[in-house]
Amino acid sequence: MISGTGITKTYRQRGNVLGGRDVRALRGVDFSIPKGGAVSFIGESGCGKTTLGRIIAGLETYESGEIVIDGTPMSSLRPKRREAEFRKIQLIHQDPYSALNPTRTIHQTLEAPLALRARRTGRPSSWVDDRAEELLSLVGIDPGYVLGRYPHQLSGGMRQRVVIARALTVDPEMLVADESVSMIDVSMRLSVLALLKDLRERLGVSVLFITHDIATARYIGDEGELYVLYRGQVVERGLTESVISGPVHPYTQSLLSAIPVLHGLERPGRERVVPTEALDERHADSGCLFARRCPFRTERCTAELPELMRVEEPPIGGLAPLPEAPGAAPHEHACFHPVRRSVIPEEAA
Amino acid sequence: MTMNAPRLLRRSRPAGTVSGGAVPGGAPRPDAGPPPGVRVRDLTVVYKTPLGELPALGGVSLTIDPGTITGIVGESGSGKSTLALSLLNAVQPPGRIAGGSVEVDGLGDVLKLKGDELRGARGRHLGYVFQAAQNSLNPLKTVGKQLLDLGRSHGVDDLAALVRDARALLERMGLDGARVLDSHQHELSGGMRQRVGIMLALVLNARLAILDEPTTALDMITQATILRIVREVHKERGLTTLMVTHDIGVAAEVTDRLAVMYGGRVVEHGPTMDVLGAPSHPYTQGLIRAIPRLSGDPAEARALPGRPPTLGTLPTQGCVFRERCPLRMEVCETSAPLPVRREERTVACHAREPYASAAGRGEHA
Repeated sequence: MISGTGITKTYRQRGNVLGGRDVRALRGVDFSIPKGGAVSFIGESGCGKTTLGRIIAGLETYESGEIVIDGTPMSSLRPKRREAEFRKIQLIHQDPYSALNPTRTIHQTLEAPLALRARRTGRPSSWVDDRAEELLSLVGIDPGYVLGRYPHQLSGGMRQRVVIARALTVDPEMLVADESVSMIDVSMRLSVLALLKDLRERLGVSVLFITHDIATARYIGDEGELYVLYRGQVVERGLTESVISGPVHPYTQSLLSAIPVLHGLERPGRERVVPTEALDERHADSGCLFARRCPFRTERCTAELPELMRVEEPPIGGLAPLPEAPGAAPHEHACFHPVRRSVIPEEAA
Repeated sequence: MTMNAPRLLRRSRPAGTVSGGAVPGGAPRPDAGPPPGVRVRDLTVVYKTPLGELPALGGVSLTIDPGTITGIVGESGSGKSTLALSLLNAVQPPGRIAGGSVEVDGLGDVLKLKGDELRGARGRHLGYVFQAAQNSLNPLKTVGKQLLDLGRSHGVDDLAALVRDARALLERMGLDGARVLDSHQHELSGGMRQRVGIMLALVLNARLAILDEPTTALDMITQATILRIVREVHKERGLTTLMVTHDIGVAAEVTDRLAVMYGGRVVEHGPTMDVLGAPSHPYTQGLIRAIPRLSGDPAEARALPGRPPTLGTLPTQGCVFRERCPLRMEVCETSAPLPVRREERTVACHAREPYASAAGRGEHA
């Protein structure tokens, strides 16, 4: 179980001709990723989802807040011990083309971390090769075919599987997949998502899935949770199916409305909202961060900052809430005027 | 030459400010005729590789009706970008157009044009929006200066009018025209640069617009806005538009007609609604089933087995899709299926000869 409370991060920019400014990448984010669970962070570029993913993987510092891995607060540990804890969390890069060293064969790529591990745990060196083959089979590629090859000889989908295999060399508890299918051809995208789902089920690895394509978040398995980030703040969260079928925050509704409709196969959602494009976010806001882009804003929105609150019962907007799994996080939102809207495409008759 | 650039750009500013939002930026000039139709016949493009010349396009024939928005969808290596470049006769070495013709109304066979004729046709007749509009702008020059370069290289006499047109177009797309013309590319967001790309493609009054992956690397909401703009500008300026994309969703959102490419061939072509609602070619069916979607049972979605062919792995005879095809037959090994047209739909598949138009409906309804 990996959780965080009140994580904040500000990127300080030095002044240039355009004037310096600080970018508040994260404004106090809470999250919790259960063991073997699947959590997705979604939002536009610049919403802080990648920064948060990197912080969780131990690759980025944060100013305040606390990350707790298996009950141990990370701030209480010495750097060496902290590093070991963060090794349980492995990041899978977006670009499988640049994530692998082009001058190393796949065998060499996998051998390095495995040999280190063998030395540390006193395993014989024969274990290294066996384990490399085992891991490649686990991610669904033929070890005989790839081991001797270089990255440029493999397709994007295969490279991404090699990257996943490399992450698995340290027996991680969690994989952080940052846009890891966006550069893979559509016909094979699902197979990588299916692999992540499969690793969850077979190894109990939890998956943190970071994407701007909400539809793919549905494919990493059941009882997944979705966090919608906007300008460094979680504006909505809940079970993936609950958020997708009945989004409450206008920003989530905009994101879902922007997904293209497969005309002929689908009809546009009944309450689809017209999304407003990102604005210049340089000047400071009072009140709700989304207010200036929000089609439903009122005076209160520009004066006060809404905090995360539970979706009220009885259901708002006439839609019945999905039954919540016991122990699962409730559907929450940060909006003064919550209305569940049905914005996603419906199956055409 | 560039001495008067700032003056030209500045002079045009008050005019636009006065007319405000009433600039008829979407309307084509009065001399514009009907939108052009395009007929591609037996187009073959080969790339020179250490293994010899390999076909990126293997005899593509495609008719694009005037005034339509046609989507060309395919995965990497399907030949969709090569097809788009061929329409401009702009295939670069090691590629070479080995045969066929591209007839554009009002221009003739584009593949026969050379030198100044060809340069004139690009921009004045054929507008191309590059795949990475993010990276296709000159980082050292403002957008306005690049616009003037474009005007001069095409012998535009009235550069002030060109700037006015450009501003009107940018404002039509929801931007501050004066500010954008004054900006360098690093001062513009991805969505703004994409709109600058569209402006530069259309400002010389091109009537055939070719967009290569216009929304790749854009956020969902920006993508939706760009797609809406493409649809509106297409209609207002009376264009024939071709949109090359790997994303079927993007094509579904804006196009009237869809051409699906695989291994350097068009395997299915027809009205978008029909192709998506009842795909006929097994590749189209598989591709649609592989799209991650927001509705429906996630367990029903399936990736296509295998992977798309590259130039080197493309079979030299028989059907290019047979390795991944669930309907593979003996004949597929030896002879390439010819496109067969039935009503509005053209399909190239042995298993669909003669094909049943409702074949895919049961699986996808």
